[in-house]
Amino acid sequence: MRGKSPDTPFLGGPDTLETEVVEHPFSFRGSEDKELNALIVEAVNRMGGTGEDAEGNYRRALDELGKRAAEAWKVVVAEYEALPEDQYLDRWSLVYLLSELRQPEAAEALNRIITSRIPAEKARGSHDASTVAEEVIIRTTAVEGVVRLSAAGVETARKILLRHASNRTFSIRRASVQGLLDTGEDTDKRELRAVLKERGEQSLLRIKRMDVREVPQAIGGRFVVHPDVKREAPPPDLGREEG
Amino acid sequence: MASCTYTVPDKNASGDNFYGAVICNQAYVDYFWNTYGFSGNKAYWDDGWGWDDCCNTSKPLARAFNGCYALTYSAQDYQNDSYSAAILNWGRRYVRENIDDLRSFCGDGTAIARSKGSGLVEVYLGFFYTKDVPGRAETLIHESRHQGGKPHDANFPAGSTFGGGKSGADSSWDYEGAWMYGALYLWWYYAAGARTTSALRERARQRGNVVIDNAFATHPGFSI
Repeated sequence: MRGKSPDTPFLGGPDTLETEVVEHPFSFRGSEDKELNALIVEAVNRMGGTGEDAEGNYRRALDELGKRAAEAWKVVVAEYEALPEDQYLDRWSLVYLLSELRQPEAAEALNRIITSRIPAEKARGSHDASTVAEEVIIRTTAVEGVVRLSAAGVETARKILLRHASNRTFSIRRASVQGLLDTGEDTDKRELRAVLKERGEQSLLRIKRMDVREVPQAIGGRFVVHPDVKREAPPPDLGREEG
Repeated sequence: MASCTYTVPDKNASGDNFYGAVICNQAYVDYFWNTYGFSGNKAYWDDGWGWDDCCNTSKPLARAFNGCYALTYSAQDYQNDSYSAAILNWGRRYVRENIDDLRSFCGDGTAIARSKGSGLVEVYLGFFYTKDVPGRAETLIHESRHQGGKPHDANFPAGSTFGGGKSGADSSWDYEGAWMYGALYLWWYYAAGARTTSALRERARQRGNVVIDNAFATHPGFSI
């Protein structure tokens, strides 16, 4: 480990950053129902909660929005379509919310999201940043929404999954195949196997969803640098200090 | 020296919203600053990066601390960081033992983070604003694996979202490289993450699956 002095004068100057804060990422240009808009914002915000009560707070926000799910899903779709392309996380949050609302009428909207063209990679030259990966995560989350509808017996959803078993993007194909195998009827599964055989992609059937405890684990401690003196972390729930 | 700007929502689903109230405690600030490589690097976290405003989750330093909180406390039994436990437990220890110099830069938009060797890791704007909170913990683990002596050893497979044929992939799951460490961390976060929401856990699942599908020259044959 290198020794460092925090007081060493800095040569050349570090980078500088200016941040501008906006209240939330949505415009709600197509919805004048402020109460409904607020419920959507609250549900999205609570997705990002932390602490022992995080899930409870998220569930309560979702339950409140769920009481107006029949109107809410259309506003969620409109907001998704209005967001700038590069707001990947915010777009994802709306797709996940759409999935959570479980409205059969939203199946076609989810299908449009899955089908939409994936823009060309904007982070060329990088091995860890990929705008295409962000786009694919949005679409596989939409597939998950369709899987939930399929599990609830929505026929349109099963047809969408079968269609995307031939999607050009591997992760979307894999998610659709697994979703249909888990939730489809016997006829759907027969049709799926026929499609995969025709495309020479039966290997997709062999990719299994597994519990993390069943897969090979990383062997921690190999290749480690010599450990520094261990200091215990404080407890996780100290709360905010005022003043 | 570069100057950059960023527009950030006060609240969204990144996981930062409510961390502000959690990390704003001197015990956490001290622990994260001294444990995960910030110490000695005030210059890199000043001038808009949050050194003088470390509870403000619209600024990079607080967002980095949020990632450190997830890294430290996402296992229910977080005090057990034994290497015989799950990576959700010992991920924090692995980062602590491999990164002792964490610096922030604007970057050119082509990378989230880079491992420079000798314990030095650089993080760029995407680390703070594209990655959600568990994704930042994943990035620190990924870069720690490089510091620990495991470079990428293969090209991405044909059709990969990361660019088929490009270098930067791992050959297989069994290589135990940076992609495997990151995906496994996300997988455990999805399966057993504590003090979080089902939404962020599902996001970890989706990101983990995209890594498993696209970052190994040979697909491992399983998914989350």
